[in-house]
Amino acid sequence: MPLEPFNGGTPLTMGVELELQLVSFSDYDLTASSPDLLHLLARKPFPGNVTPEITESMIEINSDVHTKHSELLAQLHQVRDTLVTAGEQLNIGIAGGGTHPFQKWVERRIFEKPRFKQVSQLYGYLAKQFTVFGQHVHIGCANGDDALFLLHSLSRYLPHFIALSASSPFVQGGDTLFNSARLNSVFAFPMSGRAPFLLSWDEFEHSYFAKMEHTGVIKSMKDFYWDIRPKPEYGTIELRVCDTPLTVERAAALACYLQALCAYLLERKEEPPAEDDYLVYNYNRFQACRFGLDGTVVHPKTYESLSLREDILTTLRKMDPYAEKLGGTAALNHLMQVTHMGSDAQYLRDQFNVSGSVEGIVDAAVRRFRGRM
Amino acid sequence: MPDFLVISAELAWPLAVLLAWLAGEFIHRWTRLPRISVYGLVGFLCAQAFPDLFTTEGSSPVTLLANVAFGLILFELGYRVNLHWLRINPWVPVSGLVETFATFGVVYLIAHLWGLPSMTSLLLASLAMSTSPAGVLRVINEQRSSGQVTERVLHLVAMNCVLAVLVFKVIVGFWVFQTSGSLTQAISHSLIELVASALLGAIFGTVVPAVLRHLGTLARDGTVAFALVVVILVAITHAADLSPVLATLAFGLTARHRRVAFTRTVRNFGAIGELMTVLLFVFAVSTLSWDNVLLGGGLAIVLLLARLLVKTVSVAAFAHVGGIPWRKGILTGVALSPMSVFVVLLLEQTKYAGIVLVDELAAVAAMTLFMEVIGPIFTQRALILARETAQE
Repeated sequence: MPLEPFNGGTPLTMGVELELQLVSFSDYDLTASSPDLLHLLARKPFPGNVTPEITESMIEINSDVHTKHSELLAQLHQVRDTLVTAGEQLNIGIAGGGTHPFQKWVERRIFEKPRFKQVSQLYGYLAKQFTVFGQHVHIGCANGDDALFLLHSLSRYLPHFIALSASSPFVQGGDTLFNSARLNSVFAFPMSGRAPFLLSWDEFEHSYFAKMEHTGVIKSMKDFYWDIRPKPEYGTIELRVCDTPLTVERAAALACYLQALCAYLLERKEEPPAEDDYLVYNYNRFQACRFGLDGTVVHPKTYESLSLREDILTTLRKMDPYAEKLGGTAALNHLMQVTHMGSDAQYLRDQFNVSGSVEGIVDAAVRRFRGRM
Repeated sequence: MPDFLVISAELAWPLAVLLAWLAGEFIHRWTRLPRISVYGLVGFLCAQAFPDLFTTEGSSPVTLLANVAFGLILFELGYRVNLHWLRINPWVPVSGLVETFATFGVVYLIAHLWGLPSMTSLLLASLAMSTSPAGVLRVINEQRSSGQVTERVLHLVAMNCVLAVLVFKVIVGFWVFQTSGSLTQAISHSLIELVASALLGAIFGTVVPAVLRHLGTLARDGTVAFALVVVILVAITHAADLSPVLATLAFGLTARHRRVAFTRTVRNFGAIGELMTVLLFVFAVSTLSWDNVLLGGGLAIVLLLARLLVKTVSVAAFAHVGGIPWRKGILTGVALSPMSVFVVLLLEQTKYAGIVLVDELAAVAAMTLFMEVIGPIFTQRALILARETAQE
């Protein structure tokens, strides 16, 4: 199937997808309950869109397309409250967080849908290990060339989003010492990582996608698990490195930060992206995953070492006027707080120390998602 | 030269348990049928082939071990029940109340029309209210199932067991009053026993998590500590003629709700729990006699069909308002079929009071045998049809 034409839309619109955990209240393990929850949600109007994910212990929610922080946040609140109420009716806890701290991948069940079954057949245990939970943010682009320009320009800021959203320190019952261990699961897929360095949509379509399709390795854009990928049918680029935060407030804030950054980058005041920017890409990505806000990254143009926390603070300040114009000042203030108070990963570690058990972490995550603590 | 018969008597139980386990493994692999169905069948056949070797008394070690095994299962059940959910979604407890009391009414009516005396019919009806927690929990753990049928079955079983014990004890108290004329004796066999048992369980459920939290070893030692306390609780209730069923269930329930975040106990309490289950299921049917099964077979089949129908219709009726599809409602009702082990232990325990009911209730013997073997298969099939098992 040839690549769809890039449906250029209104620049800087944004949409959010959140993959969420379905937790059993009897033991706080993941529960294969998405068919039950989806059945119940289908019975009343849902303020957004809810779809199954690869294993039956997860669901994905999508917001509509928004331009303002307040509107996005209001819808995410509505979605969350509907979900929490439905979950309570079925004795299911809903939680954010990039990983479930102690679930065993071997116990997961693949959702009954042809695409998920195909993925499971191809990737074997990786499909079940993919029971990790991410936030994807879409930003509208006027055309394909802008999309690719933004995609590669954002590579330098990728560690910001990893560190600010990090919420997956525990895997299979133990502390991984990573702040975002989730991305390690994504990295196992052969089509993951960075997109090829192409800045023209025409070239991307004919020189890259067509060749890849000819090899038989991929059939559509869905087969790429890149950190940022273009989404031609929506006319957006999609940032996929964020862990699902523990609250919808943080999810909205991250989306607005990306929106402001894109507004800034589109002014093309910065040095244009280059293939060499990727020399330090994987190292910076690792630093953000491993150490979170305490990581040290290398600037791709100057090769200068930067404290990630400082780099984020500097960028947030630089984004202030753009956020103000877009109505996202509150979002940047929220993220400013994160750099001071610590990420969700830190919060989860604190909860482990307080409760003494991995179940205590899930309990805290479920309560935090409800926004009632 | 040692006496062959003495050795046989000593070896009878361990050999029966080994045989049941082996048969369970082989038949499960060939047919995917629940292992516990096979354990029961082997236990019954052994007991019928060598009736002298498998006689048990109320105070025999095997009876005590079976009670401990059942106590562990009830604790696990209580531990998984979320009382908060029952408040948020009232249709779950409503369907539980309706299915339990409708079963009581219909079974009483049929037994009475069949010509059984009133008291016998009442006892039969109270026993039919319950679903066996052992049967249901073992199948759920064996199938590693999760979903709404699984959740609802667990909660409904806990509810109907508690209600069955309450109603059964009240009727037994009434029976004692009728035969002995002593109100004091009647009350001590019903009300006091119920309250004391539940209270005992609740006290342990409060103290044990507090001690574990104080020790700071909640995550590491939870399972062992809970298992040990179940053993102690069963021993105390055994010695004091209280109800181990209520005590261990109350222990599990309180332990869960007395903790901010709880650690999972190991499913089935690990390998030792598995071993105890084989013993429990072999034991449960070894108390039944073929004569009784034959005598009560006709009525048992009618009662079981009525029970299945009433439970299924009652639960399914509230499925849609309770938030699940009709189909899952029907399957939840079907999954409530097992009734064996719970009934046997309740009756065994009543023997302490000097009342031997099994012989009076031939139909119970037949129902117990049928549902020990068939009940878990119903539960298993219902979970598979609901697509809640780990198989894909």
